[in-house]
Amino acid sequence: MITLWHFLGVGATLFALGLVGFLTRRNLITMFLCAELMLQGVVINLLAFGRFHGTLSGQAMGLFVITVAACEAGLAMALFLMLYRRGKTLDSGDWQQVRETGVPAATDAVPLPLPPADDEPKLPVPGLRPEQVAAPFPESSRA
Amino acid sequence: MPDPLSPIGLSLIAVTLPLLGSVLSALCGAARLPRLAHMPAVLTFAAAGVISGYVLFTLAGGKDPLSYKAELGTWFTVGDMKVPVAFHLDSLSLIMLSTVTFIATFIAVFSASYMKGDDGFARYFAVMGLFVFAMCLLVTSNNFFLLVAGWEGVGLCSYLLVGYYYTKPSAAAAARKAFLVTRLGDVGMILGIFWLWKFGGYHSNIDQLVDHITHQPPAADQITLCCLLLFCGAVGKSAQLPLYVWLPDAMEGPTPVSALIHAATMVTAGVYLLARTAPLFALSPTAQIVVTIVGGLTALLAAFIALAQYDLKRVLAYSTVSQLGFMFMGLGCGGAIAPNIAVTAAIFHLFTHAFFKALLFLGSGSVMHAMGNVIDMRKFGGLRKLMPVTHATFLIGSLALAGFPLLSGFWSKDQILTALHDAGTGRSVFHGYYYTVYLVACLTALMTAFYTFRAYFLTFWGEERVPHEAHGHAHESSPAMTIPLVILAVGALAIGAVVDPLTHWFGHFLERSPVLHHADEAFHKTTNMSVGHHAFNVTVAAISSVLSLAGIGIAAMLYRKGGPEKVPTVLKPVFALSQNKAYVDEVYGATVVLPAETAASGSGQFDGFLDALARLISFIPRFLGAVLRPLQNGLVQFYALGMVLGLAVFLTVVVLRSGR
Amino acid sequence: MSLDINNPILQLILATMLGGLGVFFLLPRPRGRWVAGGVALVLCGMGTLAAFLITRFGQPLAASDAANIDWVGSGLFWLFAAGAIVFGMVLVTQRNPARGAIAFAFVILSTCGLFLLLAAPFLMAATIIIYAGAIIVTFLFVLMLSNVRTASDENDRSREPLLGALAGFAFLGLVLFTLHSSEADSTGPEALLTSIERVRLTEAVSKLDAGEADEANNLVNDVLVNRVDGKPTVAQRLASHDADPRVAAFLAQTIELRKSNDKVFNAQNAADKSKAAAALRPELIVYLGNGHLPARNVANLGTVLYSEYLLAVEMAGTLLLVATVGAVAIAGRRNPAKEVPA
Repeated sequence: MITLWHFLGVGATLFALGLVGFLTRRNLITMFLCAELMLQGVVINLLAFGRFHGTLSGQAMGLFVITVAACEAGLAMALFLMLYRRGKTLDSGDWQQVRETGVPAATDAVPLPLPPADDEPKLPVPGLRPEQVAAPFPESSRA
Repeated sequence: MPDPLSPIGLSLIAVTLPLLGSVLSALCGAARLPRLAHMPAVLTFAAAGVISGYVLFTLAGGKDPLSYKAELGTWFTVGDMKVPVAFHLDSLSLIMLSTVTFIATFIAVFSASYMKGDDGFARYFAVMGLFVFAMCLLVTSNNFFLLVAGWEGVGLCSYLLVGYYYTKPSAAAAARKAFLVTRLGDVGMILGIFWLWKFGGYHSNIDQLVDHITHQPPAADQITLCCLLLFCGAVGKSAQLPLYVWLPDAMEGPTPVSALIHAATMVTAGVYLLARTAPLFALSPTAQIVVTIVGGLTALLAAFIALAQYDLKRVLAYSTVSQLGFMFMGLGCGGAIAPNIAVTAAIFHLFTHAFFKALLFLGSGSVMHAMGNVIDMRKFGGLRKLMPVTHATFLIGSLALAGFPLLSGFWSKDQILTALHDAGTGRSVFHGYYYTVYLVACLTALMTAFYTFRAYFLTFWGEERVPHEAHGHAHESSPAMTIPLVILAVGALAIGAVVDPLTHWFGHFLERSPVLHHADEAFHKTTNMSVGHHAFNVTVAAISSVLSLAGIGIAAMLYRKGGPEKVPTVLKPVFALSQNKAYVDEVYGATVVLPAETAASGSGQFDGFLDALARLISFIPRFLGAVLRPLQNGLVQFYALGMVLGLAVFLTVVVLRSGR
Repeated sequence: MSLDINNPILQLILATMLGGLGVFFLLPRPRGRWVAGGVALVLCGMGTLAAFLITRFGQPLAASDAANIDWVGSGLFWLFAAGAIVFGMVLVTQRNPARGAIAFAFVILSTCGLFLLLAAPFLMAATIIIYAGAIIVTFLFVLMLSNVRTASDENDRSREPLLGALAGFAFLGLVLFTLHSSEADSTGPEALLTSIERVRLTEAVSKLDAGEADEANNLVNDVLVNRVDGKPTVAQRLASHDADPRVAAFLAQTIELRKSNDKVFNAQNAADKSKAAAALRPELIVYLGNGHLPARNVANLGTVLYSEYLLAVEMAGTLLLVATVGAVAIAGRRNPAKEVPA
């Protein structure tokens, strides 16, 4: 028999996962999705309680949650777009100007892995004269 | 509101005029008309002088008690206490008012010429007007609140005028000294006023207060203490031992200021205070004898110091201290003979002294003006041909100060000496003390004559010497300066004889003051002695004349040829002692200033310790801040993490508590 | 507390610790990401969580009446729950946001399955429609703005992975512990009505609708008074739990229902009978509705929204409008740095 408590457990787990993602991930889009994940956990909670009490209020609340989530999504996307225009990045760690004066900016100690070496042959850049190793013709012939 | 044409109304106009002059002078300075700044002051002082003189003469005849009162509304109300702006005009305040405004007028005229071209011309006359106003307020007020206001106003203005050349460190120091030393006395005075207020049935007006106390006198030692506390204020303001030290230093101000302080305003305030409260002093013979002894000691010490000073103004300054000592000696006699005689003698001396001391100071100012601001008598001499008017007037002033027979100073000093003599030979418990003080006063009179004429001879006799600071244009001063000298000289010459010994006008007029009447009553009640009247004592007058002439003679013998200083070898140490002002400043330095400085530096150390402690305490939040500051790293995710961790801890506590 | 493997507290702690550790290992970072171990730990954690739920709140396949085991319901629940959690885990730990969006789509599908199990078909449909749009938009953004081919700060780094995982899973542990302690007595009834009783009563409702009042009366009587197939009646079955207020209220309702049923039986003429039957029907519906939502979900939800929650619905609409205006205002600026201040 599946009871209320089973649903509550699943909802709590989803909420916790979203929380972890929101706190640790640095991509603004991923953070937004994690926030949505938390909302899903909450909606499950509401529906489970609604069913347990045999009312439809839980479902109504769930609808409102989805409404708020839609608003949030619209605004969040607009903000991401503007932030991206300013900083050309989606890294939430780039926006840290509100720190205490005298505190150094947070930097990442470990370097990022280099992109894998490119095995493809390199073509010369079009429109530019390739670098000459040795002059094929005598100087006078140029004129 | 009194009728403006009644005596009290006119007097109040006379009181207010200097204030108006002060404001107008200040406005002249503000309106970029500083050259005209002397006009309002001179004109208002003159007008005030004329008005008060007119009131004086209209009231001069008659024998009725002379007392006019006026209240110009309420100053302030505190609880049940209502303090009115109350004025009281009697013969005492009328004489003071006339003297102050009259002398101030001539000093202002003199100053207009003396201070010409100075940067602070307008400021000078504005403060001077305020000074005269404060003094007038002081002598006409009928309650202690207004009196203290005038008293402190006088102190403030003396600070401003003594420190007139405020860029000069010595002037600034002298101003500070004058202010602080007089304040020391004021503390006692204000305590005394508080106590009097309690004894006096909490009346705010002086006449009601005095009435209350004379009818229901408190215990003898209480009234004595009260009187002595009041006397403290007088000691500070009127430069008596031990608080006289500010007055010689006050020479740092412009010379007319010295004339104003010494002759008309400021130093006479203490004498006036004691005269005004004479009924209270009459209740306490002990306080009176203290006043006399302090006056005697001051007179003697100041005269002694004046013997060997080279600074002309300093000689005059110490002579002022000494003459004030005479006034207090006279006031103190009220405990042994009738207070009206004592107060009359003191106020009479104040009156004549105002003339000749103003004259002497203005004369010295004239000399100083001609000598290029040099005042050291060793650097000039033989000026009698160069400055004939100044010489003549200075001679008259010196004769008056020395008590030369028949001049103003002789008559007033004789009254004081007679009073002392009578007290010393009377039935008083303290007659021994009084007689001793009488002898001291005689000695002081001799010394006064000597040092006055020493200064006179050193300045005007001998071969003509002019200091190079005069730049070769040493000459007689302009008429604007000499005319006041001449007028004051006439006063010094004749006014003493005219107003009292010949006409007895002064004494009779002063007796009409209800204050003296109350004082006599209280004296009679306290000592059971009958109230006598002043009588001319030929013996005392003769002794005084002989002493005066002897002093002048010795000075002429030693200094007739002018400088340099001639001192018999035997008297060298005495001379040195006098020249070093009897080491009073040094003694004060060792006994008062040094301990105070030690205490101050100790307090400074302790303050530093407290500061260190405070810094230590303040270091704790700073340290915590430094530790916690990196947490504010601007990363919003990091903040959210902190919130969630905090929430987790909080929820853990809640869940575990409710789960049990 | 002994270290018994069946101890729910131990399972709870173990589940959160394993899950947290697994997520910590799986979170993206330039160096030291241990995918295999993380996955293993997360799976172990999920297993322990399932064990905890089963130990504590009842085995899905061990109903009181073995004949009526809800195989389908239980199976679907476990399927959707596992799907939601697994794909949520993928969303959190996946370094590529595009794949994260796909995972989120699966999370939505799984939760929609759970919504169905919770008798909310309308919400399920709405969620799928709305989130499909949301996810497509997200996808567009990822394509537009994010560079996933090379390593980047936003995708390959985590902010405080250890502390973040600790915070999140501590929270989870707390919630689970609260669940554990809030249903402390396991003596409560599994359900107010057994499935066979429910079937009989539903049958009674349909008989009433068909106008066969006596048949319905008999069916209700069977459930409430007679022992159906030798089983105890409702009142007998719940008598031991009457301390529970919910059970007590249900028992009171049972008595009322029995009285109404008796009125149908005692009716003298046809008019009285049909009147009593009409009164019995809504009572029976309410009685059946205990713990179960009515059918016709959309119609009922609409009634609730536009009656009880009318103001809130209007407010939600306004909110959407405002958010739209705000989003346009924020995103509409071409280059905020070059804007001349008014």
